[in-house]
Amino acid sequence: MLDAAVAVLSTGFLGLGLLLATIGLYGLLRQREIFVQLHAAGLISGPASLLVLITSLATGRAEIITSALLIAAFVLVTAPLSSHAVGRAALRRSQAPDEPDDPVPEQPDHDGVSSR
Amino acid sequence: MPEIVLVIALGWTTLLVVAGGVLLLRADDMLHRILALDMLVSLIIVLLTILSYLNDVSYYLDAALALALLSFTATLVAARYVIRGRPF
Repeated sequence: MLDAAVAVLSTGFLGLGLLLATIGLYGLLRQREIFVQLHAAGLISGPASLLVLITSLATGRAEIITSALLIAAFVLVTAPLSSHAVGRAALRRSQAPDEPDDPVPEQPDHDGVSSR
Repeated sequence: MPEIVLVIALGWTTLLVVAGGVLLLRADDMLHRILALDMLVSLIIVLLTILSYLNDVSYYLDAALALALLSFTATLVAARYVIRGRPF
């Protein structure tokens, strides 16, 4: 009884994760704009990976569960960061296409006298 | 977990990786390529995870963790390279 429930639940999680990955990949292939593509890629690197990794709870093996939860925590932290980096690069490039190396303006010193 | 489900999921994820390769080949810009590679690494993490469930061993997940770490660093550095023209 419990085994059947665990099997059905894990199959549902795995199927949902793969469905989300398919939807995200369809969006990536369909759209050409980089910001819209970021929206679709977030679906793959975030919820789809997490759902597949959470399915490890159904295997009942301690090594697999600890490794999978470690990867899930890592993905949960790093997926928004890398997505943010790509989005910021696209935004900077679209705002200032011919800007030299460092677009940050010079800050004056605290006493109001510029350093150069 | 039933084994047939895992086999079907493995096949489907392989098809998704092939579609991600098509996306990578279609990309006409550096940022699109960075995004496609990042997404491809996510799909390969999913592939290795399902392979680990299927074979009931845990060391594929260590490879997946190392791949996630490398992909994160590579994406950050490549995005900085697009902005500044140099990685650091």
